[in-house]
Amino acid sequence: MNRGTLPIISRLQSLQAPAHVAPGGARIIAAASDPNPLAALLREVNETMLGRALTFESRIGTNLTLEVSGRRVLRLTAASGLAGAESCLSEPALEDAHKDDLIKLLQALAVPNQELRVTTTPIDREREGVSVGLPVALLADLLLVDLNPLAATEFTALEAMPTTAPSPKVAPEARLFAVPDPPPVAVRPPATAPVAPEAATYKTASADFLGRFARGTGPVLMAWLITGGDEDGTTEGPDEMVSHLQGFLDDEAEAVSHQLDQISTAPDGPICIVLGATLVEGHSVLCARSGEGVLLGVIEGDGTQTLMQAWSAAFA
Amino acid sequence: MGVNETLGAVITAHPQARVVAFADLSASMILASQGRDDITQEHLDRLCLQARASFDDPLFSLSVEAFGEPHGAVVMGADGIRVFLRSESEPADALCCICDHGIDLAAFVAKIRVTLESITSGG
Repeated sequence: MNRGTLPIISRLQSLQAPAHVAPGGARIIAAASDPNPLAALLREVNETMLGRALTFESRIGTNLTLEVSGRRVLRLTAASGLAGAESCLSEPALEDAHKDDLIKLLQALAVPNQELRVTTTPIDREREGVSVGLPVALLADLLLVDLNPLAATEFTALEAMPTTAPSPKVAPEARLFAVPDPPPVAVRPPATAPVAPEAATYKTASADFLGRFARGTGPVLMAWLITGGDEDGTTEGPDEMVSHLQGFLDDEAEAVSHQLDQISTAPDGPICIVLGATLVEGHSVLCARSGEGVLLGVIEGDGTQTLMQAWSAAFA
Repeated sequence: MGVNETLGAVITAHPQARVVAFADLSASMILASQGRDDITQEHLDRLCLQARASFDDPLFSLSVEAFGEPHGAVVMGADGIRVFLRSESEPADALCCICDHGIDLAAFVAKIRVTLESITSGG
């Protein structure tokens, strides 16, 4: 089973599961025998896309109401029988600073082996849009809850399979995703993949496209080299920097090509990515591909306008 | 001002931006978007995946090792450009944009940076 299908299968199984309704209309999401009602609570939030107020109530009468939208907890609007709720209740929008308090409330409410119920009501659309809230994925991460119940069993086998994904070379904390890895994307987007609503005028690139682009960018592209294609071995800039770029491509050529495939909308068209802290100051990495050639370079300062001009001009 | 209005203000200020979307990259989900009427959920899903891929290895590692953690990415194709900017305070929060080639990119990046931090901070 593909890793990317697990959330879908989980949702389908959830939809197929018979609803158990308690007297009064509340839906029972965790039975008295459930050792982890907290997981059921978070999954309920995770499955809520439209703006809704979810009131969770335990068998002993403690309850809280969360306004939820787009898999985020926007705010806590009511709580009963739970100590320490005031700090979250007073906030018009829950933020990262409130996550610990909210987690304590959720843990106090969703006690193991105790029935948990939920009732759902719509919320005002205006209220839905005024807050970003706390992602349920973050809460689940902190509480070690798997939002996709299938994952615990299915992933065991999947994780053992070899993967073509590149190994990160940086410390995990430096990476963006302290959350699940990106779902796998086809190496080449299929012909039927949705195409971004960009201009319909598709241009073709000449054999010397990358060199023309690099030279057209000017001195802001302080060091670069091209590997593969008609311009293989073309370089410019300080030898030490070019050598470093060459070493990187020697080691990571396949992974770079895979990454470019993932961001490309036209499988056979030229593609370029510039990656930087701010894009307009400091240094940025530039990587482009046209045909069999790959250009890798380093930008110093603000190259935004010259880059775009050079990119367009290179098609001429 | 709500998230949709905030995103709409970016389009108003920069008409060459065709789509501006606020995404939770950790969940691979576009939470709000503004722009052309013909954009579909499939377009947005793909845009979000492209944003995630842009901030992934091996180019992410190269950037970190050489210059520090990247928060901005510009992707140029044969038919337009995409700009991805992720929050410095909440790295999973990001703006994903599709623009015409002629856009004033420096001004646009400055605008969406302020917009993103405003949304992330709930302002």
